[in-house]
Amino acid sequence: MSGITKLAQSSEDHAAHAAWQSLLKRIPYARHLGLEIQPGQAGMEVHLPYREVLVGNSMLPALHGGVIGGLIEITARVAAQSQDAQVRRPRILDTNVDYLRSARALSTFASAEIIRQGRRTALVQVTCRQEGASAWTACGRVQLLFSATERQPRERA
Amino acid sequence: MAGADGLPSNDPVAVAGQLNEQVPHSRDLGMEVVAVETDQIRMRLIPQPWLLADDDAEQICSSVLYSLADSAAGLAVFAAAGALAPIATLDLRMNYLRPAASGRALLAVARCRHLTDEVAFVQCEICSEGQAQPVATGSATFMRNTSGKRFKAFNEQENSA
Repeated sequence: MSGITKLAQSSEDHAAHAAWQSLLKRIPYARHLGLEIQPGQAGMEVHLPYREVLVGNSMLPALHGGVIGGLIEITARVAAQSQDAQVRRPRILDTNVDYLRSARALSTFASAEIIRQGRRTALVQVTCRQEGASAWTACGRVQLLFSATERQPRERA
Repeated sequence: MAGADGLPSNDPVAVAGQLNEQVPHSRDLGMEVVAVETDQIRMRLIPQPWLLADDDAEQICSSVLYSLADSAAGLAVFAAAGALAPIATLDLRMNYLRPAASGRALLAVARCRHLTDEVAFVQCEICSEGQAQPVATGSATFMRNTSGKRFKAFNEQENSA
């Protein structure tokens, strides 16, 4: 990769990072979970740092399935919204998560792949892995609806 | 609790409530067990400002409903099985029928529809308190008796302590 290509790539990453960050920070529950945006191998990733309050099974310990579900839903929402031409806020219609292995007391990273981005709906696949592991912890698919009638004061302004 | 082999029938709500209290994430979100029937659990969650979907919307984040459904479904398996052998969520599917208003508590009902030695199928419905129509429905599949290596190691540690 030439120096100029690298520079262009890094400024693109920087813009994507800022866009994802601004979408994420408006979600109170994402702030509560402690989600952060970071550049990953293929686009942006959402990082869920480990904290004791995220645990579902204290004996193992393992993260709560709902925490992984939330990471997947919020990642899908931010990915779909960042790809929308008008940056409309989508509504999540349904979420389907498959749990592949127990999520341990470690940092978890989610990356999104947009399977379809349409004018009214988006389908996003999200995969989660944990620090030090290449195998997926969980994967999920989220269907989102972009409604023309929903009021979105800040984005429209 | 690890050694308990069943839910005492004298006060199932208290037992399920205790189980729920031992789950840090459920406690963090403010989930409460309100009723336990044979194969069914009812839970309640009072919305807080940090559980909302957007700074500009008076709606509870769908992921809060997702967590509530997962917790209620897990407890429904324990209720139906009458035992506390560990379980693991294989998958959970949620349909968000309508937005959940932040001004109303959430009520979840999870019912274990089928139980075998290995798996459990649970259905869940979440309503906004005082409203007849559900805001979300869910469907979960669990593996039962998932005493993996780490769980066994934990029990050995506990027993020798």
